[in-house]
Amino acid sequence: MSQAVTAAHTSAIDALHTVYVAALDQGDMAAWAATFAVAPETSYFCISAENDRRGLPLALMYDDCRGRIDDRVSFVTKVWAGTYQPYRTRHFIQRLSCESAGNNQYRVTSGFMIMMTPEGGATTILTSGEYRDLIELQGEGDKVRAVFRERRAVYDADVLPRYIVFPF
Amino acid sequence: MSAHSTHAYTGEAPKVWPAKVNQIPKEIFGDAAIFEEELKKIFYGDTWHVVGHTAEVPNIGDFKTFDLGRVPLLIARGKDNQVRVFFNSCTHRGNQLETSVSGNRKEFECPYHRWLFSLEGTLAACPGSKEFAPDFKQENFGLVEVKTDQYLGLILVTMGKNTPPLKEWLGESALPTLTALLGGDGRLKLLGYQKVRYASNWKGYNDNDGYHAPLLHTGFRLLNWQGGKGFQRMTENGHVIFEAELKPATGNGFLKDPSLIAFKGSNPERGSVITQLFPMTVMTKHMDVINLRFAIARSHDTTEVHYAYFAHEDDSEELVQHRIRQSSNLLGPCGMVSMEDAAIFQRIHIGNQTPGFAEFQKGVTSLTEIPTDVKQNDETGNLPRWEHYRKVMGFKREGEQ
Repeated sequence: MSQAVTAAHTSAIDALHTVYVAALDQGDMAAWAATFAVAPETSYFCISAENDRRGLPLALMYDDCRGRIDDRVSFVTKVWAGTYQPYRTRHFIQRLSCESAGNNQYRVTSGFMIMMTPEGGATTILTSGEYRDLIELQGEGDKVRAVFRERRAVYDADVLPRYIVFPF
Repeated sequence: MSAHSTHAYTGEAPKVWPAKVNQIPKEIFGDAAIFEEELKKIFYGDTWHVVGHTAEVPNIGDFKTFDLGRVPLLIARGKDNQVRVFFNSCTHRGNQLETSVSGNRKEFECPYHRWLFSLEGTLAACPGSKEFAPDFKQENFGLVEVKTDQYLGLILVTMGKNTPPLKEWLGESALPTLTALLGGDGRLKLLGYQKVRYASNWKGYNDNDGYHAPLLHTGFRLLNWQGGKGFQRMTENGHVIFEAELKPATGNGFLKDPSLIAFKGSNPERGSVITQLFPMTVMTKHMDVINLRFAIARSHDTTEVHYAYFAHEDDSEELVQHRIRQSSNLLGPCGMVSMEDAAIFQRIHIGNQTPGFAEFQKGVTSLTEIPTDVKQNDETGNLPRWEHYRKVMGFKREGEQ
């Protein structure tokens, strides 16, 4: 059953975006993972617009189950620690559309831009792109909380300006 | 006691290299003038360069554009099913012909004066040709082809006049590994790309070694991922071949989803193979990942790499799906294993803007002889490539006439 999209729904969805941005901009990978649903089939993909447009399935990050989302946290915090050149990010998100998908789920698309600042360096644009999400509202009334069931970050850069540590 | 530099540092690469073969002058990475010389002597010289695979343009009319140094290329599949490599330049006034990275066309049209070229490169139309120069002949103005050859679909080009035939240049000893890497017969299917620019000299990008793997890559330790028996072999003209058995990783319970590192291939004795072709092409088959890295030397401090991933045409749906998730997450610029390599490409470029030498140690048995026999985890496998580079560039060694 489809349901109407109300201000309360979009407010919960926007709050999820805010939590997501705050997590990544603070480099808090556990908080990033916590924005996703705990259901096993929850997914996160980060893919170039070129692959996406051409129907090529390969992605930059291909986390097609909840376990892989948790494993990405381990990559960043345990496997790669001490090897990469640190950089900070600032994410900016603009919600573009929101449609009900039934069962308290919503198809949401948003534009994003990520600024990056390498330690000791100037701030530049890492990439822009579009999030295509399936967001689920859990709980009732004042307790309602949004989580990602699917997040697909389609980034615009045909060639990324550096190697990538953190999710988009 | 620490060593002190005794010479004034100018950043200019020396034309005479040390007599010791395990020392590479660090200035070779950061000297912009050297890059201009490399374009002439290497990238536009008597060397083959990997620019793609025919599986990237599987259908008639498919094309991709690529660059060799600063030279724009257009790779297209004609109606005769032949894949040709053209200069991406209208034969009239030189305008860039195709602007897209890839696509499918019925023909190529230059917008400037509407000269129209077939997929096979012939000039099909040129408005106003009755008033062209007296010696104009339409058949003489087809797109200019770059000298090209293929090995199991791998597309190589050369602009040199005296480049040896491709198979001779690849070398007999490199062929079995390269064949295995290309799925045995080159019948590959494109899965997609990861494209990235590194703030690194192309030689730094290409100088990874057999010594670093268990030391840099924490993931191997965390996953209890042991390397198996293997070898490293070099050719005189600078290619390096690695092969290693792949023992299944136990995973150590580190990953919540250990299926990522499952090995479903049927040839574990060649579980991990690398073919590194001079000057800067790295290709690898690691577990079920088939990864060809098409690289462009943009400048002395920028290297662009198009990581292209493939399945085999005969793969089951299940194997293709496994390849997609393994390829996406393991060996690219954000891969669990190779993100660390990418970090080193950039850090080694910064660190080498200092006086002195990049010092090779692991496996060095002679200071005067270029090694021909090296072990799997030696870094000396890179020295024949450096020697070939030195000779092509015309740098002498101390004491050499």
